[in-house]
Amino acid sequence: MTAAPVTAGLRAVGREARRLRITPRFRGRELTLLVIVAIALIVGDLSLGATRLLKEAQLAGDQPPPDLAVLAAPAILVIYLIGLFAVHGALVLAGRRTDQILLPTVGLLGGIGLLLMIRLPQDLAGRLGGLAQTQLLWLVIGLTIVVLLAIAVRNDVWLRRYKYTWAAVGVGLLLLTFVFGRDINGARLSLTIGPFSGQPSELLKVILVVFLAGYLSENRPLLQEESTRLGPFRLPPLPYLAPMVAMWAIALGIVIVQRDLGAALLFFAVFLLLLYVSTARFSFVVLGLAAFVVGAGLLYFVFDHVRTRIDIWVDPFADPTGAGFQVVQALHAFARGGLIGTGLGAGLPSIAGRPPIPALHTDFPFAALGEELGLVGILAVLGLYLVLVERGLRIASAAQDEFRAILAAGLSLVIGVQAFIIAAGNLKLIPLTGITLPFVSYGGSSLLANSVIVGMLIALSERTREPLPPPRRPGRIRRLLDRGAA
Amino acid sequence: MDAAVIAIWVLRLIFLALLYAFLWMVVRALVRDLRAAAREPTLELGRLVVTASPSGEPAAGVSFALDAITSLGRDVNNSIVLDDDFASAAHAALTYRGRAWYVEDLGSTNGTFVNGSQVDGLSPLAFGDEIQIGQVRLRLERARG
Amino acid sequence: MTGHERAGGTRPSGRWPIGQREPGHAHPVSGSAPSWAGRRIGIGAALGRVALALAFAFGSLALGAGYWQVIESDNLSNSGDDAAVIAASRNVLRGEIFDRDGVRLAWNKLDKNDEPYRVYASDALSGVLGYSTRQFGTSGLENAWNAQLSGVVSADPLRELTRKFQADPSDPEALRTTLVLQLQEAAVQALGRTRGAVVMLDPRTGEVLALASTPDYDASAVSNPDTSAKTFDQLRRDNRAPLLPRATQGLYVPGSSFKIVTSMAALGSGAISPATTYADQPRSEKNGWLIDGYRVRDAHHLFTGNTVLDYRQAIEVSCNIYFAQTGVRTGGEALAGYAGRLGFGAALPFDLPTEVSQVTNGGGPLPGGFADRVELANAAYGQAEVLVTPLQMALAAATIANDGTLMRPHLVLEATGKAGTTTIGPSAIGQVVAPGIAHEIAAAMRLAVNGDWGRFFTAGAAVRGLVVAGKSGTAELGSGQPHSWFVGFAPYDNPQVAIAVLVEHSGGGNVKASPIAGQLFRAWRTWTNG
Repeated sequence: MTAAPVTAGLRAVGREARRLRITPRFRGRELTLLVIVAIALIVGDLSLGATRLLKEAQLAGDQPPPDLAVLAAPAILVIYLIGLFAVHGALVLAGRRTDQILLPTVGLLGGIGLLLMIRLPQDLAGRLGGLAQTQLLWLVIGLTIVVLLAIAVRNDVWLRRYKYTWAAVGVGLLLLTFVFGRDINGARLSLTIGPFSGQPSELLKVILVVFLAGYLSENRPLLQEESTRLGPFRLPPLPYLAPMVAMWAIALGIVIVQRDLGAALLFFAVFLLLLYVSTARFSFVVLGLAAFVVGAGLLYFVFDHVRTRIDIWVDPFADPTGAGFQVVQALHAFARGGLIGTGLGAGLPSIAGRPPIPALHTDFPFAALGEELGLVGILAVLGLYLVLVERGLRIASAAQDEFRAILAAGLSLVIGVQAFIIAAGNLKLIPLTGITLPFVSYGGSSLLANSVIVGMLIALSERTREPLPPPRRPGRIRRLLDRGAA
Repeated sequence: MDAAVIAIWVLRLIFLALLYAFLWMVVRALVRDLRAAAREPTLELGRLVVTASPSGEPAAGVSFALDAITSLGRDVNNSIVLDDDFASAAHAALTYRGRAWYVEDLGSTNGTFVNGSQVDGLSPLAFGDEIQIGQVRLRLERARG
Repeated sequence: MTGHERAGGTRPSGRWPIGQREPGHAHPVSGSAPSWAGRRIGIGAALGRVALALAFAFGSLALGAGYWQVIESDNLSNSGDDAAVIAASRNVLRGEIFDRDGVRLAWNKLDKNDEPYRVYASDALSGVLGYSTRQFGTSGLENAWNAQLSGVVSADPLRELTRKFQADPSDPEALRTTLVLQLQEAAVQALGRTRGAVVMLDPRTGEVLALASTPDYDASAVSNPDTSAKTFDQLRRDNRAPLLPRATQGLYVPGSSFKIVTSMAALGSGAISPATTYADQPRSEKNGWLIDGYRVRDAHHLFTGNTVLDYRQAIEVSCNIYFAQTGVRTGGEALAGYAGRLGFGAALPFDLPTEVSQVTNGGGPLPGGFADRVELANAAYGQAEVLVTPLQMALAAATIANDGTLMRPHLVLEATGKAGTTTIGPSAIGQVVAPGIAHEIAAAMRLAVNGDWGRFFTAGAAVRGLVVAGKSGTAELGSGQPHSWFVGFAPYDNPQVAIAVLVEHSGGGNVKASPIAGQLFRAWRTWTNG
C-alpha cells in the first residue's frame, strides 16, 4: 500500500521522461547569476588559499612554501561549478519556463558551504577521503536530484492523491529510526542500512509538507468557515483538524522521544504557518502558539535534556566549560568576527588541532561563517536564505491551484524556518537545537532533502505561455498542445 | 604590512562585495517581478461553467478560469480533467486567439459538440455557447471581475 | 505543471482565485477582499503576510548578529575563555630558562599539532624547575615565574604599567637563574637512589646554586602532551613521592645539625660563652642527664672519656648533654626568637613555596611555646618537635658563613624580554647574630669537620685542599632508620658556598649525608676553577 504513491510517481516521471523533448530556451538571468556565483566562489577559494599559504609560510620559515594548488583545493570547487552549469544547461535544454533565481541562490549557498568544508580540517568527518570531498559528493547528488525533479516532474497526482499514504510512510520511517536507529550524542537520529546512514527526519519534513498540502487544500473551505462552538467561544473546527493534529502529534512525540528538538520545532512552525496560509484564520495561529507554550512548559519540567537546553539558552555563561560550552564558543566566534570577519581560513583558532566549537561542520557553520566573514558576510548569507524563501512564496502565490500553492509555500517555509531556527540558536536568540543549516551544513541527508525541495519548487514554478497569435495552420494547435501538455 | 597581507585583504573584500552584487541583482529581479505582477490586471480571458456532469467529476456548477490554451479530456495531464466514460484521453482544446475563443476537437472517439452540433476542425465560440464532451456539458462565460 | 485542477491555467498576478463548491453562487473570483468585510483573505494575501513575518524574523536575526559581532565583540574577544586568547597562550613560546653560566635548562619543542611544549636539559632539574603543562598546570620555578615566562606579565613594573598600550602585549621573558647545571646534576647523582635533598647556595648573596630533590623525574615527559597523562599518573601513584620538592617542602627532624641554631641562640643571647662548660657533663654521659624525669643520652663517651667539654668541643663531638643543658639555660623564648630571625615560624621569602620550619609545635606554657623543660632540652639538640626544611638549614649555615647576616635566597638573576633585562640583586634579611659570634660558631664547625674527634662524626665531608666547616646530624625518629644530615660551608676563610644535605632514613642505613657533602664541595671546587 505504501508503495502505491511511489510507483505512481515513478510511473508518471517515467512517462514524462519518455515524452521529453529538447526544446532549448535561453535562461539569461540564471546564466548571469551563475556567472557571478562562479566568480564569487573562485575569489573566495583564492582568498582561502592565499591565507593558508601565508600561514604555512610563517610557520615554515625558510623552507619553500607549499603549493597554492594543494591548499585551495580548486579541483573540488571546479567540479562543483561544472555541476552547477551542467544543471543550468539541462534546464536550458528542457526548455520549461521555470524560475531562474532558485538555482543560482542555492548554488551560492552550497558553494559557501563547500568553501567552509574545504577550509575546515578534513578529518572531522566523511568516509570518502575527507570533509570537502564527501560534501562535494552529496552536493553533486543533490544537483542531480534538482535537475531530475525540475525537468521531469509535471504531474502532481501522485502527491495529491496519496496524502495519507505519504503520511504513513513518513511516520513509518520515523518509527523505524526509533527502533533501529543509532544514538548520536544522545539523540537517536540516524538510520543505518548497510554502509549508508542517514537522518530520516530530514526526508520526513518533505513528506509531511506534501501531506499537509494535500489535506489543507482539500479541506480548505471547511477549515475556513466552520468552527466548533464552545460556549460563547468560536474555536477552529476540531473534528476536521483532528486527523492532521493526530498525525502531527505522533510525529512530534516520536521526535521528542528521539530528542530531536530542532525537527519538532520545525514541524510545528511549518504546520502553523501552512494552517494560516490555507485558512487565513489568525485564531488558529494564536491557538497553536498557546499549545506550543503549554507543550514547551510541560517538556521543560518533565525532560532533563529540554531543561538543560533552555537553561543554557538563558545563561550559557553560567556553565561555560560544561553544558554551555558550545553556545559560549559560538558567541565568541561571532565576537571575534566583528564587522568584516577574520577572512576565510584565518579565524577559528584551533586548540590542540581541533576547531574551537564542537560539531562545527554540522551545527555551527553559521558561527564559523560569522567569524570568518563577519557581520557583513553573515547578513549576506541571511539575505540569500530570505531570497530563497521569498522566491518560493512567490512561486506559491502564482501557482495554479491551492494544492500547489500550499505545497510550494510549505516547501519554501521548511527551508526558511529551518535556516532561521539554527541561525537563531547559534546567536542565542532561541535555544540551540541540532538541525542543519540548509545547503551549508555538512550532511548528506540534509542536502538530499533540501535538493528535493528545490527541485520541486522549480518544477512548481513553471509559468504560463504567452497568448497565441491567430491560427495559421490547423495542425499547429496540436503541436503547441503537445509542447504545452508535456 | 607586506604585499601578501594586502592581497588577502583585497580578495576578502572582493568576495564580500560579490556576495552583495549577487543579492542586489536578485532583489532587483524580485522587486521588478512583484511590481509587474501588481501592475497587471487580473488577466482572465473567460470562464467555463459545468452545467451538467453525470459522473460528478468535475461537479456541476464548478467554474474554471480559462487560460490562452486549455485542454480538456480524461487524461490527468489536461488543464480540465473530465472523468467521464465517454470522454477521450485528449478530447478537445479551447484556445483564445486575438480576441475570440475557439474550440478544436483533438480526434476524440465520440466527438465534441457546440450547442448540439459537432465541431469539425477549429470552430469559433461565443460567450454563452455550450460545449458537450462525452456526457459533460460546459458553458463558456465571460471573465468576472 | 498540469494535473487535476479546479481552475485551469496560471495567473501571472499575485492574486489568488478561490475555487467554489456552491453551484451558481456568485462569489468574487479575486481573493483579496479584506477580512473585516466578513470574508477571508485569500491564499495570495496570506502568503504575503507570511512573507512579511519571515522578513521580520530574519531582520531580528540580523539584529542579533549585530549585537554579538559589534556590541559585545570586545568583551568576549578579550576574555580568558576566548579560544583565540587560549590558543595564543597555548602557542606562545615560553621564555627559556638558563643557568648562571648560560647553559640552557628549559626550552620549547613543537608537538604534532604545532603547539609548543616544554623540554628540560636534565631530570635533575625537576626538583627546582618543576614542569609546565597545559593539562596539569605548572610547578616549581615554572610556576613561580609563570606570568613572566608566558609573557602575560612583565617583570619590569614600568613595562607592566604601559602594557595596555603596547602593540604586542605578549612578551615571554627568558630567565637566567642562579643555578649551576653541573652542580645540580652532581647533587642528584650524589644522592643516588635515596630519598633526599641538597641545597647549595652562595652565603654572600643568597643565590641558590643547586636545589635538588630525589627521587627526581623526567619533567619533559610530563610536559609532552603525548606522554603527559600517563607519566603524571605514574608519578602521583609512586609512593616514593618524586613530585614532592623535598628541599623546600620536606619537613624533617634535624637532629644534631640543629645545634648550630641553638648555638646562635645561646651565644647570641649571652646564655653561654664559648668557654662555658658543664661540670656534671662527663658523669652524666654514663647514665644520661636527668632533667625533670627524662634522661638525655649521648654517644661520644668513647672518644672524649671524662673530658669536660667547652663549646667548641661540644660541637665537635656533637654532645647532646651539653646542648640540652645549654638549651634549658638559654630558655625557650631566646631559642624561638633566634630561630625566628633565621626564618623559622614562617614561610621563607623565596621564589618557590616553602614549608614552615618550627622549633616546637607550640601552645605550651613555657616561653617560646614549649610544653616543658624536657621538650626544651630535647629541642636544643634537634629532637622533640623540631622540624626543618633543608633550605632552612642551608640558610642557617649560610648565615654563619656570612658573618651572621642572613641573605634572602633567590633563584633568578635576570629576566630578559623584548623591552630589556630586569636584574634581581642580593638583599639582606637581617643580622641574626654578631659577626664575632658567627665566627665562633664557624670555628667550632671547622673543628667538627677537620678536628681529630670531629672527623669521625663527619667522615667524608672533609676535602683535601679545601677547608670545610660543617655539622652532621643523625635525626632519631620514633621508628625506622634515622635521617642523616650535613650542614656546612667552604672555604673556611672566605666562605662562598653553603650546603645542606639530607638523606631520608639514612638511605637504608648505609648512605650518610657527610660524604655526599664532601663530594659536592669537590664538585663546587671543580666548577669554580673551571
